[in-house]
Amino acid sequence: MARGLWTTTVGSFPKPPRLEKARSQHARGELSAEALEAMEREETIEVIRRQERIGLDIVVDGELYRGDMTTYFAERMPGFAISNPVRSYGNRYYRKPIAVGPIRRKKPLTVDWWKFAQAQTSRPVKGMLTGPYTMMDWSFNEHYPSREAMAMDLAEAINEEALALQEAGAKFIQIDEPAVSVRPEELPLAVKALARAAQGLKAKTITHICYGDFDVIYPALLDLPVDQIDLEMANSRYDLLERFRVHPFTKEIGYGVLDVHSHRIETKEEIKEGLRRGLEVLRPEQIYVDPDCGLKTRTVDEAFAKLEVMVEAVREIRAEKGIDV
Amino acid sequence: MKIETTLAGSYPKLPTEAGEMNLRVTRNRRDQGKATDRDVEEAVRETTRRILRIQERAGVDIPVDGSAAWDDAQTYVARALGGFAIEGLIRYLDTNTYYRQPAITSRIEWQRPATVEDFRAAQSMSERPVKAFLPGPYSLYRFSRDRHYGGAKEALADLGAALGREATALEEAGARWIHFEEPWIGKAKSDEAPLIRAALEPLLAGRKARTVLHVPFGAPTAVFDTLRDLSWSVIGLDLREAPAGWDLLPRVPEGRAVALGLIEARNTRLEDAADVAREVARARAARPDLEFQLSTTASLEYLPADRAEAKVARLVEAARIASRNGG
Repeated sequence: MARGLWTTTVGSFPKPPRLEKARSQHARGELSAEALEAMEREETIEVIRRQERIGLDIVVDGELYRGDMTTYFAERMPGFAISNPVRSYGNRYYRKPIAVGPIRRKKPLTVDWWKFAQAQTSRPVKGMLTGPYTMMDWSFNEHYPSREAMAMDLAEAINEEALALQEAGAKFIQIDEPAVSVRPEELPLAVKALARAAQGLKAKTITHICYGDFDVIYPALLDLPVDQIDLEMANSRYDLLERFRVHPFTKEIGYGVLDVHSHRIETKEEIKEGLRRGLEVLRPEQIYVDPDCGLKTRTVDEAFAKLEVMVEAVREIRAEKGIDV
Repeated sequence: MKIETTLAGSYPKLPTEAGEMNLRVTRNRRDQGKATDRDVEEAVRETTRRILRIQERAGVDIPVDGSAAWDDAQTYVARALGGFAIEGLIRYLDTNTYYRQPAITSRIEWQRPATVEDFRAAQSMSERPVKAFLPGPYSLYRFSRDRHYGGAKEALADLGAALGREATALEEAGARWIHFEEPWIGKAKSDEAPLIRAALEPLLAGRKARTVLHVPFGAPTAVFDTLRDLSWSVIGLDLREAPAGWDLLPRVPEGRAVALGLIEARNTRLEDAADVAREVARARAARPDLEFQLSTTASLEYLPADRAEAKVARLVEAARIASRNGG
């Protein structure tokens, strides 16, 4: 019997309202770092429990202790300063990294949280990192003479962290590069930087990229030096599959079936149809089923409702197609 | 010849000094039921006043109102047009900022002024001609999901007409400058030129106000022959992210103006004013017959408020040096 269609998520989960409130209180100096971290640990355990209950095969820690996906890392790395608030949308603001000197990794960035999460579950927990190209592209740069110089220093630092996650026992290491798809002319730089970031890894390596100009970057995208590329399939109404018919997708794929930008809960039938279409051009053992992107912009209830439908749809397709876990 | 200064797009909403009206805080308080919509409106007006004051103190010739009430560069106008629904958050190009994606669900029509009251309020606060800001039709279409039209050309014609009505309403309210933001034109391939023409030709034709066609993040090289035919007054070029824009200067039609985007809106590093002035001189040497403005490359809202203010000062300083050196 064929194996495949493992279920997972892209990484982030929404922060429960009480945690959002606690983060605000901490920012205003009204709550200690210890009290905030205690709540983050409680909520991380809860998000892992809920992933187990739903039946996801590979879980994540939910990144409830992170703010922005670049700033979290930059705050912990020499060479970065953090800007005053910059607006991301509406009334939402974040502090953006500024490269002001040589960027280095002086201490573990995520390993302790990964160990904590893995200790809560028997299922594999993915190690989650932000990739060097995206870290570079989403930061201000007052130090480096070129984008490449900054990306390659970041790649070295992220490689140290990835190796530390592997040493701690991580079997899956995801190095997200959502920025890759929007500057096709820089894909060779992204490939070079990611190769450095993933150098020496024996764990399964994954990168998530967001929807972009695939007419230009596919099939060159397959040059990304990882085992699995995680893609938004539902958001593009699965039109990427037509490209895969012309140029077969040769790696494992993180196959996004949930539109994370929509409040609507997908129906089981539409997810099943998306999976059936995928199985026309992909082998089951290539496919890891997940949402299109991180779920942090949904409400907690929406996020888990979407995942429940996803897992149920996968179960039925496995039965229909005779696919084992 | 004096080099006039202007900003492209919106401006950070947060104050840089304690005690100033903070729109973010007021909006949060409104969301918590501790402030009213009226309080938010007052905070928007006060923020606009501050944004204009910053530009006035620095000496910006053609200020912007900063789009203080806008959540993003698309939806403030799209919400007011008939035919759009507003959907989920989506990343805005490669900026790591977001917008709510407009979806076209029925025929696009102008229904009511979207920006006129904001313009009137801003203009009443400034002696200088405030530049009105609108999304360009081609980019607004590309940022949207089209669930109604069978083809882009028809949709763009309707969208261009609707934004044309808004531009006319702004002119009737006294706007002397109208800025159309068109980031997608900088990414366009040559086969998109007919669509760009369909969207912009009727919108720009016969305008009383001076129109700025601003193209951040890319150089409109592939469609510039089409752009040359359109009746904009000023083309805004992002010469930091797209140095290829320099090659377009020889092709700018006589009698038009160029806004040189040389103050980078997406990096905190402050430019050297003398260096920028030398780049202005380079542009003048390439086209002594053209009028030039000095501008930011894009919206300063990509920067924190303190750095945006420093960039505005640097912009004016560079223009003064360039004007002095230019005789």
